[in-house]
Amino acid sequence: MADVTFSELTPLVEFVGVNRVYGQVVALDDCFFRLLPGELSFLVGPSGAGKTTLLRLINREIKPTRGEVWVDGLPAHDLSAKRLAELRRKVGVVFQDFKLLPRLTAAENVAFALQVTDLRIADGEARERALDALDAVGLHDRAEHYPHELSGGQQQRVAIARAVVSQPPLLIADEPTGNLDQETAWQISTLLEDIARFGTTVLVATHNMEIVHRLQRRVLTLSAGRIVDDQPAGRSARLLWATS
Amino acid sequence: MGNILRGPRPPRWRTVKVVVRNTFRYLVGGAIRNWLRNFGSTAPALGSMTLLLLLVGLGLVGAVVGQNIANTEARDASVLHVYLRDDATTDAVNALEAQLSGNPDVQSVAYVSKSEALARAQNRPGLPQLADAAESNPFPASLDVKIRSVDRVGAVDSGVPSSYDPSAYRRFQQVLFWVAAVGIAFLILLAFIAVTVTANSIRAAILSRRDEIGIMQLVGAPRWMVRGPFVIEGAVTGAAAGALSGVLALVVCVFAVQAGASSFAQIAPGLTLKAGLVIGLFLFLAGPLLGSVSSLGSVRRHLES
Repeated sequence: MADVTFSELTPLVEFVGVNRVYGQVVALDDCFFRLLPGELSFLVGPSGAGKTTLLRLINREIKPTRGEVWVDGLPAHDLSAKRLAELRRKVGVVFQDFKLLPRLTAAENVAFALQVTDLRIADGEARERALDALDAVGLHDRAEHYPHELSGGQQQRVAIARAVVSQPPLLIADEPTGNLDQETAWQISTLLEDIARFGTTVLVATHNMEIVHRLQRRVLTLSAGRIVDDQPAGRSARLLWATS
Repeated sequence: MGNILRGPRPPRWRTVKVVVRNTFRYLVGGAIRNWLRNFGSTAPALGSMTLLLLLVGLGLVGAVVGQNIANTEARDASVLHVYLRDDATTDAVNALEAQLSGNPDVQSVAYVSKSEALARAQNRPGLPQLADAAESNPFPASLDVKIRSVDRVGAVDSGVPSSYDPSAYRRFQQVLFWVAAVGIAFLILLAFIAVTVTANSIRAAILSRRDEIGIMQLVGAPRWMVRGPFVIEGAVTGAAAGALSGVLALVVCVFAVQAGASSFAQIAPGLTLKAGLVIGLFLFLAGPLLGSVSSLGSVRRHLES
């Protein structure tokens, strides 16, 4: 059997000449990159560089003006509205502001995401899997707490549990540590690293350069809508925008 | 993370049961829960839809009555009732009958005696009381002359006392046409208002649940599951409006039939309880349809991913 190197793996996410324009503003300009299965990557750049636009293109919240976005074999750039759900079940999403439903407990928030995507899941199974997911993010003892009874870090963990409970191949996170203190931000980052270790591709848009430096993972640098640097994992090179 | 791995799938019958239960809970249960929770914003839609359906119901009652009057008028217009004096001799009646039968425009001639005229009157609202009030039979004998074409009635009318009024039928048809045209235009306007108000109430419901909807869309809930509860919510509003207006229309019909039977005037000729039930049932079924179609329009407009 022939050896398959890391670079020969089929990419889970692929941007091919992607351009996105809002009116007169070019948010993304001619972007090319690939994310491989199980890869943890950071997306960095100044505010307005196009990080959120890039993540929204992956989840097909928006369409590219030009170019192709492929996610796990699905053409996100050319997907009919009927097939959007199919794409989104492949992509877990985590936001800076958690977006938990306030009238549901932590376990119910996680179970809700599971059951609305798969009606075949019974209440008992949904709850069991939600508790497993909360356990995996270290929140088993907070399962019956409502979001307002949890700290910011705990709420973000619930949001991560919700994003991964259906085991999507891809997890995207938009500033997941933006509202958290440095210690909590580090805990969340290591949690994302654990998730990637189990085979999920993780792409994190962040301003938190300390975490980027400490984790030494792949870093895509965006500036004015262009990918100006693609730094492989394990290098501690200067990050262009952060140090200039 | 390993604990999240799924176990073996349950038997098929159990899966079907779970799917049915979850579908009912998220679609129907969720819709009814939200309908009750957002009743304040739904009330105007309920009111305008009830008003619309009630007016449609009353329009249908009017149509039944109008159609019945039109049929009666059309039938009566081609039948001449040639009234006979009480002291007319049998020879004179026979001669008149033979004369009329010989006319090529006449299809048939039938003799109606005074007692038959009284029997007919017993079946018409108000007339039995009139007959009872009189000491003797007030209804004259007649020859009922059926004309081949309504246009030839004037040619047959030979000056003898008859029921023929040449312009009454046309006048009645003209009035009926304009009443129907104005009524339909008014109902179209009201339907537009009802659909708009319902669509706005669904928009308010969508806005009140935008966080939940956003999460459902982001995690990949199917479109029908995101849209379904709102369409059902609209259908529930329509069903409530249909039930209310159906009952009201039925009450109006019952009142009209009873009032017509107990008075000298024909309030709603031809209207029966059966017709009232059919109209009520029609409104009850039209309500959910109107509500769900209005909601679907709003959902398509405000819930596009």
